[in-house]
Amino acid sequence: MNPYDYQTFRIAYEVISAIICLVLVRFMIKPYQLTKESRYLGLPLGFGFLGATYALAAFIFYQPYFFGSTTIYLQLILRSFAFIFLVVTYYFSRQTADVGRKLWNTTLAILIIAFLTLFLPVIIPDIALPSYQLTSSFTRVFNLICIIYICAHTLRSHVEKPEPETIWIPFGYIFLAISQYLLIIFAVDESMAAWWSALGIRWVALAIFLIISCRSFYCFKRGD
Amino acid sequence: MYEVPRLAIEIASAILYFILVRYMIKPYGLTREERYLGLPLGFGFLGVAETILAIGIILPIHGIGTVSVVMRTFAFVFLAFTYYFSKKPSKNSRFAWIIILSSIIVGLTTWILSLVSAPLMTIGITTSFGIFLRILALVCLSYICIHTLRSHIKSLDPTTIWIPLGFILLAISQYSQLIRAADENYLYGVAFVGGLAARLIGLAVFLYVAYRTFYRATKRGGINEADRP
Amino acid sequence: MKQIARRDKLKIYGDLLSILNEETSKDKVVLTRVQVRLNVPFDRLKTYITQLSGLGLIDDENSLKLTEKGKQYIKEYENVLDFMKRMGIAYQ
Repeated sequence: MNPYDYQTFRIAYEVISAIICLVLVRFMIKPYQLTKESRYLGLPLGFGFLGATYALAAFIFYQPYFFGSTTIYLQLILRSFAFIFLVVTYYFSRQTADVGRKLWNTTLAILIIAFLTLFLPVIIPDIALPSYQLTSSFTRVFNLICIIYICAHTLRSHVEKPEPETIWIPFGYIFLAISQYLLIIFAVDESMAAWWSALGIRWVALAIFLIISCRSFYCFKRGD
Repeated sequence: MYEVPRLAIEIASAILYFILVRYMIKPYGLTREERYLGLPLGFGFLGVAETILAIGIILPIHGIGTVSVVMRTFAFVFLAFTYYFSKKPSKNSRFAWIIILSSIIVGLTTWILSLVSAPLMTIGITTSFGIFLRILALVCLSYICIHTLRSHIKSLDPTTIWIPLGFILLAISQYSQLIRAADENYLYGVAFVGGLAARLIGLAVFLYVAYRTFYRATKRGGINEADRP
Repeated sequence: MKQIARRDKLKIYGDLLSILNEETSKDKVVLTRVQVRLNVPFDRLKTYITQLSGLGLIDDENSLKLTEKGKQYIKEYENVLDFMKRMGIAYQ
């Protein structure tokens, strides 16, 4: 039994996840639109890349051999970069505007170069790639470390200035981390129980992000 | 192959649980209210469950894992009831807590006696029952997480965030055990290692909270004493 | 010693509009009270008011008040700041 046994379900699941991410990008771009500070670009880029990986996953399930076997590597790279963008954004948000801007621009340039360097071997045919299982295990561990950093960062912000509104974001990322952890179990142990629960928990995390965004922009707030 | 590190982790977990019992008994020691007994009982049972598991690694007694799983589930039930009753200080709730406490203890004793006397001991736990017990433990833990998180949001004290996090880590540990039990096709996989790691980090969080509460407070008290003329 | 973060123009404009929004809802706007709350010198406050008026965000003909555009801007500004706070991202 493997995830390909549930093709229709998986396509629908990934498409919905991608749509949620797309909606999230619409909200995540607002801090950049207001401040015009490039250090906040990591938020829409991170969620955008995440959405792109879900869309790509749906496409891979629909047409497994359309682009060849290298597409699944592209998905892994994109997801890792999504989490890197988020980590960098959270890291630079603590810096003052001037320092943050300079460092972010340098980091963004490095990240783009790194992305292209990793992207080229994937699209160039006849280049020997490492085993998918090994690569996916490594990238998922890396993603988990990135999310744990974000959890710690957002929790620290909450502990420094505790407000009821700021507690939900660390929990959103904690659920995303649990989902990644379960995907590692799936990648290494081939556990279907872990795979199913990873999908469920990912939606819980995305739902938390969506609720946070909606409450900020649409719903009535305390004191209104 | 992994018996020695596993034994070490189980013994370390048991020791940590027993250290925590020392702190968890303090609310009962101060108030003498039965509803706070669930805390030391819960952590005590968890310590016993880990000790039994450690014995099971040294002496391969068939079915010893069953006793450990049952003990662990009862421990989480104790903790869940403690949190449930912690907000209702009335005569009725006190009566209800005593009844529940007695029922849990009778249930646990009956279960262990039946295991010792009946041939179930030789058969061991069935997979579906093992999964049921782990799901029950997970439900209790989820309830505790929500309860402690709600308390934190109400009080907004930065020090109260660590307890829900500790319970979340214990829940992740239980969830990993559940995955391991549900799949049954691997023994020392990522779920197993991840479950152990989450448990140890969770226990470290509880210890940190206990340390900060009792030792930092004493230190502050000491300074105040010294300041007196 | 903890360094006080320097406010950029966006933050100052946002804070000024928020204060004006609150003050107009109470009673007549007193500039000295606005100046104390915004924590800027008086001459600079006057400059900011002229600039915001030029952008069509405030109306300073009879008495100082926010225009519809200003009200819309401040709503969006507060929403985005609230969103950033909820997302765990500091704006400094």
